[in-house]
Amino acid sequence: MDKLMRNKKAIILFIAPALIMFTAVLFIPVCKAIYYSLCNYKINYHPKYIGIKNYVMLLTKDKTMKIAFRNSMFFMIFSIVTQLIFGLILAALLTNIKKGRNFFKNIYYLPCVLSSAALGLLWMFVFMPRLGINQMLATMGFFNGDCTLGPQWLFSTEGYIILPIWVISFVALWQYVGQSMMLYMAQISGISSDIYEASYIDGCSKRQSFFYITLPLIKPMVATAMSLNAIGSLKFFDLIYNMIPEGFLSHKADVIATHLYTQAFKFSKLGYGSAIGVILLVLCLVMTVIINKFVKTESYDM
Amino acid sequence: MTNTMTISKEKKQAKIVSTLIYVFLILLAIIYIVPLLWVLVTSLKNDSTLMLSPWAMPAKLEWSNYEFAWTKGHLGTAMLNSLIVCGSTLVISMIFGSMAAFAIAKLRWKLSKLTMYYFLIGMMIPIHTILIPLFVQFSGWGMSNTLMGIIIPYITFSLPITIYIMVGFFEGIPNELFEAACIDGCSVYKMFGTVAIPLAKTGFMVTGLMSFVSNWNELLVAMVFISKEAKKTLPVSLTKFVGPYHTNYCQMFAAIMIAIIPTIIAYVAFANQIVEGLTAGAVKG
Repeated sequence: MDKLMRNKKAIILFIAPALIMFTAVLFIPVCKAIYYSLCNYKINYHPKYIGIKNYVMLLTKDKTMKIAFRNSMFFMIFSIVTQLIFGLILAALLTNIKKGRNFFKNIYYLPCVLSSAALGLLWMFVFMPRLGINQMLATMGFFNGDCTLGPQWLFSTEGYIILPIWVISFVALWQYVGQSMMLYMAQISGISSDIYEASYIDGCSKRQSFFYITLPLIKPMVATAMSLNAIGSLKFFDLIYNMIPEGFLSHKADVIATHLYTQAFKFSKLGYGSAIGVILLVLCLVMTVIINKFVKTESYDM
Repeated sequence: MTNTMTISKEKKQAKIVSTLIYVFLILLAIIYIVPLLWVLVTSLKNDSTLMLSPWAMPAKLEWSNYEFAWTKGHLGTAMLNSLIVCGSTLVISMIFGSMAAFAIAKLRWKLSKLTMYYFLIGMMIPIHTILIPLFVQFSGWGMSNTLMGIIIPYITFSLPITIYIMVGFFEGIPNELFEAACIDGCSVYKMFGTVAIPLAKTGFMVTGLMSFVSNWNELLVAMVFISKEAKKTLPVSLTKFVGPYHTNYCQMFAAIMIAIIPTIIAYVAFANQIVEGLTAGAVKG
């Protein structure tokens, strides 16, 4: 048996396809991206090494990058906080009701499996000046019945965090809160009912049992959900790209991913785009480490 | 006497609370359903009357909107492309992934732990970072505008999670089973095919589902790598068809419907399995 499992040929045969593919399509390109990010590289030209000039430019001079970074950070914090709160509330409510749990759960989860490209377009129409929400409010008598007088949900550019960014944040919450909810529910349903019964005998109210039993016991899952949300919102592309038509807000609603897309594939600045990509990679790694360090505690036996 | 009164009072309170919870849940469900219904209803309307009576039900069902989006918007071709891409990605990533997972979980070699960590790092790398090098490389190989050019990155990004989940499932299979197979004269390949794979069916379902859903909805890579109409996948064709410069709203709504209806049908049919499967995958990831 042992000899069979140490069969070198079999090991190589089993691991090789995945390993080769992974190295060639993921690992080497990451190294290349780091190299390109140190180059002046335009499409159809050879990359020319220029040191850290791209990074200096990005971090000090590029105004759009500043906006994109701010928006991305906002998305990340917003989604971490709101998904945590709403995900927990929904999970707590759904585990406590008797009828229709599956029905509600499946409805709230539905947008997670739908294409965010399609949902982005859908919500773009909902927030258009002449359709959707404004039209609905106008028929109800707001804005003197003229829907174009309503708020410019996706086209207003005032404020530190502009209105479209808020709107898109809420759409993202709408789309992905089901996932956080399910993660928490999976963890809650794993808690043995003995613990709750014991607490009720000790005179615990439902609210107390939530704060003193449920919350501490699902802490490891909070870390998982938070890092999923953080990385997901840093990588955010589809919703923004589809909700804000290109060039409509002169890049005021850009995030890191859309900035990378425009720089690399609209202006063909491949070196500069790679630098943005590397910064995004670093951000993702840093966030994962931070969240796992500060939130994840020892997991309890249940 | 007072005792029974407090109990009935408590019961009454509990009832109020549960009614409030249901009201909240139903209101929330409406926020989830109404936008989709709105798109469905509008997609069947006539564009010229849309602005006059925005909230009326369609007088006559305009199936021509769907026909237009399907043919002129190239959504038919796009759906076929998406099926080819996601199907082949699914199959290949499951084969490669489960093979590697078996080697890591059950075969004995020194570097297996290290290899596992190597794959795990891949889960943290955003696809955006390697988009540019891959784009350059693939155009050099003449693979831009081919389905192969997006299948390869899709497989690669499905591999880490597939391997991670499958390792978990293979490790759960007791070694005694493999020993028994060994005594019966099984080779290591046969063990993989006849013992490991059949016992990890749930793992295949979970990983398959995750890879299919995420690739079916993927926009960025497909948009960068493919500009030819005949090769575009569903999210790309939809994004290009629906836009601020297209003026017929009803046709655009029909296009959105076409893009999400297959997923919705599959979801309605297998909602519980899909939700459980994806959650199980996310928990482990």
